[in-house]
Amino acid sequence: MTISTDTPATDLLALHRAGELAVNYPKVPGLLAELDAAGLTRAGHVLARLDPDEVRRHHPGTPVVGVAVTGHGTLSALVPALTAELARHGLLLRPTLGNFGSYLVELSDLDSAIHRADPDVVMCVLDPVMVLEELPLPWNVEDVRRALDEKVALVTGLAARFESARRGHLVVNTLPLPRAVTAQLVDYRSRARVGAAWREANAALLRLADVHQRLVVLDLDPILAEGVPAAEPRLSTYAKAHLSTELLAEMARAVGHLARNLTGQTKKCLVLDLDNTIWGGVLGDDGMDGIEVEDTYRGQAYRAFQRVAKQLSSQGILLAAASKNNPEPVREVLRSHPGMVLREHDFVRVSANWRPKHDNLSELARALNLGVDSFVFVDDSAYECGLIRTALPGVAVVHLDEDPALNVQCLLRDGWFDTREVTDDDRARPARYRDEVVRQDFLQTFDSIQNYLDELGVRVDLAETTERDVPRVSQLTLRTNQFNLTTRRMQPADVRAWADAPDSTVLSIRSADRFGDNGLVGAIFLRRGADGLHVENMLLSCRVFARGIEQACLAAVLGHARDEGDQAVYGSYRPTVKNGIVADFFTRYGFQRAGTAFRHDLRDIDEPPEHVSLTLSFPRSTP
Amino acid sequence: MNSIDDLIAIVRDELGLPITDEDAEAGFDQLAGWDSVHLLRLVTVLESTTGRRMSLPAVLEADSLADVYALATQ
Repeated sequence: MTISTDTPATDLLALHRAGELAVNYPKVPGLLAELDAAGLTRAGHVLARLDPDEVRRHHPGTPVVGVAVTGHGTLSALVPALTAELARHGLLLRPTLGNFGSYLVELSDLDSAIHRADPDVVMCVLDPVMVLEELPLPWNVEDVRRALDEKVALVTGLAARFESARRGHLVVNTLPLPRAVTAQLVDYRSRARVGAAWREANAALLRLADVHQRLVVLDLDPILAEGVPAAEPRLSTYAKAHLSTELLAEMARAVGHLARNLTGQTKKCLVLDLDNTIWGGVLGDDGMDGIEVEDTYRGQAYRAFQRVAKQLSSQGILLAAASKNNPEPVREVLRSHPGMVLREHDFVRVSANWRPKHDNLSELARALNLGVDSFVFVDDSAYECGLIRTALPGVAVVHLDEDPALNVQCLLRDGWFDTREVTDDDRARPARYRDEVVRQDFLQTFDSIQNYLDELGVRVDLAETTERDVPRVSQLTLRTNQFNLTTRRMQPADVRAWADAPDSTVLSIRSADRFGDNGLVGAIFLRRGADGLHVENMLLSCRVFARGIEQACLAAVLGHARDEGDQAVYGSYRPTVKNGIVADFFTRYGFQRAGTAFRHDLRDIDEPPEHVSLTLSFPRSTP
Repeated sequence: MNSIDDLIAIVRDELGLPITDEDAEAGFDQLAGWDSVHLLRLVTVLESTTGRRMSLPAVLEADSLADVYALATQ
């Protein structure tokens, strides 16, 4: 099953074509949230056409951040990049682009256009060509050192002058070292020396941040180390654009986070999912001994992620957990699992329950007396990420990769917690909040999720289990512990025997939604007796639980039984330590207790939920 | 890219410029909102659309979208 739907990129384009972007500016951050770098670049060009004043006429409260761009070379690509990055945070860019080649004058002359614009941020972009064009021919290492020293002195002077004369923040960057510099020197010692001189200049630039309060020095090395190209030779040679568009986009991203910080929108709280986010596996199914958090390959990756969360928390970021789990096993893992880095006391709140996650986040925001827009939410599930994006658009959502080795990068890819200073008070904050927040677990209330489910496009396919399904159905019976009504474990041969017997059948549950195909997620084991149809077992992966799938499937089975002339449908439930969430499954949908089983008289079958579209394909006259 | 209309559509959607089919032959100096950044961006987009590298010096000497179209499809 594949489901096509409009993407955020096409939605943005549709608004642009209709001339309705300004009116709909509050929707823009949501549309940009899931775009990749290429999509964001495209969006930036479209958004850069918007007049900030027109947006403000429609939405007077939209914060405007003035950013002046000056520096060496052609920098016009920074304007759309900055436009997109600020728009991601709901901010409006008021750009001032300096004239080509005149950054020295523009920064020194307090009557220049960029000073008169009174920007909140001035970017002075430095590139290696400004050093190279100072070199004589032939040149040696000392020539390079001299040229570097001059540039560092220049920037030092500009920074001092800026700080004494201007409000706002000055942003400069370190200089990427082109291979064309080192490789022109043929002996290893000279190469090493020029490399050292270059790094000393960059270190001097970075140290300027120690002496100037309102100077931000962007270190480009970590960005380059992740494979972002420093330059594109054709654009550098022919268009004097000496830094690549991709690198400028990364610098714009950093300035976007600075702008968010300057407008008081810094993120304060990191809300983590648990299963397959801070440990591998599903606690409810795999048990404390089965989750991966230390010695296995994947376990080491999850442990590394926990260490990063702990490091962030040491700088004042509040940690919270929001997990679909029963609270007791979670508490047990946090208290006594030997491999865990994060412990109960590291979290200001652990919400382990079966409520929709956005309810937990809203409740957490109230308890912490923070806005939900100060939250960063991390989850491996596209469903949960989509739910939070829809229900709480202010929350920054980090959707983790399927490979846990990439989770640290996913979390740190964006500088959500970037701030100008960390104070002692910040460092003490987590402990203070822990003391104030009363831990509590919540009752199940699923009402507030309906709007999201209506948009989710849940499709369910209920069909007789075929030979091809048998291994997966067997695996579900062996691995599923939570939504497993009788926890009867079955090997493939057992499933096959059940499916082939004359009085019984097995149904496979497949589901899909707008995020994609979930595959075979559950099974129903039926047996026909003289007194009616018996649901001997039903199981559903907890990944798709509580979206109406179980209710739709049960309604289909009840309808089938009535069509077949059955007098009643019987249901079995055998309690275990882990399947408490389905203890009231049958009574919730109209069954009455009948001894140790449950009985539905088929007179009044609950309507299946409207948001689920179910196709049923088991032949008539089968059990 | 099968016709200059496709190029016009790219300019509208990728660069956000409100141009019409009649603007294909017009000089860049006649296009409302046009500046050199658009030309560089256009080359990037066209190269990824056609899978072929364009001559940047030739593009920088182009006077109109019709010129660019000719370079992208030659």
